[in-house]
Amino acid sequence: MTTDGLLPGVRVLDVGQGISGPYCGKILAQMGAEVIKVEPPDGDSARRMGPFPKNISHPEKSGLFLALNANKYGVTLDLSSPEGADSFRKLAATADIVIENPPPVFLEDLGLGYESLKAINPGIVFSSITPFGNRGPYKDYKATDLVLYHMSGHAHGLLGAVKDPDNDPPIRAGGHQAEFVGGLAAATATMMALYGKRMTGIGGRIDISSFEAMVTQLISGLANSAWGRPAPPRDIAKVEEAAIGGMVGAIGGILPCNDGYVAISPREDAQWERWLGVMGNPEWSTDDRYSTRDSRQKNSPSLWKLLSDWSVHYSKHEIASLGQEQRIPCFPVNTVLDLMSDEHLAHREFFVEIQHPAVGVLKYPGSAYKLSNSPLPLAARPAPLLGEHNSEILEGLR
Amino acid sequence: MFESTNQLPLHGIRVLDLSWIIAGPTSTRFLASMGAEVIKVGSARRPDPSTRGPAFQAYNQSKLYASLNISKPEGLELVKHLLSVSDVVIENFAAGVIERLGLGYEIVRGVNPDIIMVASSGTGHYGPHTDYVAYGSLLQHYTGWNSISGYPQREPVPGGLWADPWVGMELAMVTVAALNNRAQTGQGQYVDFSMAEALSACLPEAVLDYQMNDRVKEPMGNRDDWYAPHDVFHCAGSDRWVAIAVTNDEEWASLCRLIERPDLASDTRYADAEGRRRYQDRLGVAITEWTMQHEDHQAMALLQQVGVPAGPSQDILRVFKEEQLAESGYFSRVETRDGIIRDLPGLPWRFDGDRSPILTEAPELGQDNSFVYRELLGLTQEDLERMVADQIIY
Repeated sequence: MTTDGLLPGVRVLDVGQGISGPYCGKILAQMGAEVIKVEPPDGDSARRMGPFPKNISHPEKSGLFLALNANKYGVTLDLSSPEGADSFRKLAATADIVIENPPPVFLEDLGLGYESLKAINPGIVFSSITPFGNRGPYKDYKATDLVLYHMSGHAHGLLGAVKDPDNDPPIRAGGHQAEFVGGLAAATATMMALYGKRMTGIGGRIDISSFEAMVTQLISGLANSAWGRPAPPRDIAKVEEAAIGGMVGAIGGILPCNDGYVAISPREDAQWERWLGVMGNPEWSTDDRYSTRDSRQKNSPSLWKLLSDWSVHYSKHEIASLGQEQRIPCFPVNTVLDLMSDEHLAHREFFVEIQHPAVGVLKYPGSAYKLSNSPLPLAARPAPLLGEHNSEILEGLR
Repeated sequence: MFESTNQLPLHGIRVLDLSWIIAGPTSTRFLASMGAEVIKVGSARRPDPSTRGPAFQAYNQSKLYASLNISKPEGLELVKHLLSVSDVVIENFAAGVIERLGLGYEIVRGVNPDIIMVASSGTGHYGPHTDYVAYGSLLQHYTGWNSISGYPQREPVPGGLWADPWVGMELAMVTVAALNNRAQTGQGQYVDFSMAEALSACLPEAVLDYQMNDRVKEPMGNRDDWYAPHDVFHCAGSDRWVAIAVTNDEEWASLCRLIERPDLASDTRYADAEGRRRYQDRLGVAITEWTMQHEDHQAMALLQQVGVPAGPSQDILRVFKEEQLAESGYFSRVETRDGIIRDLPGLPWRFDGDRSPILTEAPELGQDNSFVYRELLGLTQEDLERMVADQIIY
């Protein structure tokens, strides 16, 4: 059993800035690869993105940057200068993987693209993440999380059908989900390329489109389209099957509680019977309108009113535990505060404490996987200070 | 070694796919299309619930599909036989089910010590809530994901489709990471995967904001904590919107020039993001006066030409018809077994060289029984027929 993760000895140059590239690098770093973050002298743009303590911008205190770059080493290089480019080439000669997420700067434009790195390191894997990939009419378009979330069809699905579509636009998810997906797709492809390299000695250039990564999250919808099905309507009046909370075809949705909300889905008949038991078998439960899955579906607005009248007297955690004791799919609508006090996550040691010189000890979300033979070094080191490892890493090159 | 530059990276890997519904099959779709031989195993006794409808076609592209009834002792023996010739096994039953079926990791490892077993469930395979009954749509609430997504001061949004597809890709990633490790060390692995934790891991900003500022993040619709304007704006036509995200002062100046509002560009109240955030309702009205005069795709093109990130808010059918996808080679054109030529979804990456992914039509249950049981496991035709008759290969 090793304790240095899944990728010991793998060296990665992470030239990414912002979110998608650094998130790809973060995944490799938490897998145990030696990830060297290469920043321009004024730092990764994520250092200027929040959250910050007391909302005061500080290059060493961005919560986003700290989370995306934990477990990496950090060097600063001006890649547009001959000295910086020379150091980068020397580093690349020792690396297995290079990650970039231009714009603004493509390594290619600096004379450091795949072909020139391949000349000094034939097996190198070069992963380039852009909003739309290096092909198609939008290849030079800019995008942000908001734009990607909307263009890829997710915003329509997130909100579900509404009463007045012209005054109730689709919305994106919170955080930076689309950019994370771009980074995850890049990590997946990079991991595959690394495996291929181990088998054949051949690395290669990989082009990743964050837009396509988001679109690939909706392959079921694309298949529906390929089979001639219409898109789900945004206008609730046009939704044929009655739906609660957007969950078309399945009884389920959100109930108000005295301290928030609970999400429930007692969709099967047996689950519904047990759910009625949780509610103390109210008088209306024998009503024909609610006796079958189909009739509950059809009469969901009145049913949901009855359920809500009951649920508001309880807390979200009370209802969730009562329901789960009866094996009914139901969960509290948790905030991050709930997460941080969740006994299950605590038991699984999901949050990882890392000490950082500028912000102190904070708990970071860990990883979704536990490995039996290669525990991950999730708290190996905090995100690097700007240029923190310059002397350690760059001076050795000379 | 050095076989060919055209070899897909997962060539030579065999995956036994015991998974079903969405997340597990999505992960093995990625593996299959990048060269792994994925043998999906299922039974008519308990069909994969996603079999109904076209979604199954997307989740199961490029795989082999053998029928097998694991509830019978001989069926279980066949699974073990398959495990002994596989590199990876993936399952996504509720926690505890695979052990009750007699295929827990201890047993699997006994059959094949180097195997990588990837097990995904709603809340993971140990801990006080391991037994919680979960659907992806509900997990989005449990994980805090939906607490930051939605409109302020409204009830939470129902969720969209997020947990399963995300987990599908992450399962593929961690599987290949474990394969990399095996190539280096020779050791296999048990991977305990929690869908819930996969989603909670994507909220670091909110988790750290809470610790830094004692603030519980609230949903804010399309708006952003920092950038402004950052919203969707109504375009010409019913329910048509363009998303615009101004991420710096230069983009703001370009936007003002495009919509012919030099007065906004020169107004010092809007000179920085903080000011634009404060007045974003007012700025939204001004921007909408312009967007209402344009179709959404046209608005995108005009904005992008001046360097402002923008794009239409689309439903899935319009995404399917996106010229970007058509021209970037995303789709795989396949004649499906009903004789119709269709564009099936592809992968979000391109490898150089001639390393196009394999993207075929999804299989039908049992179509690869002969290959799997006769060629791979060496059963006789007689054995195969008897097991079909006995509802073991079923």
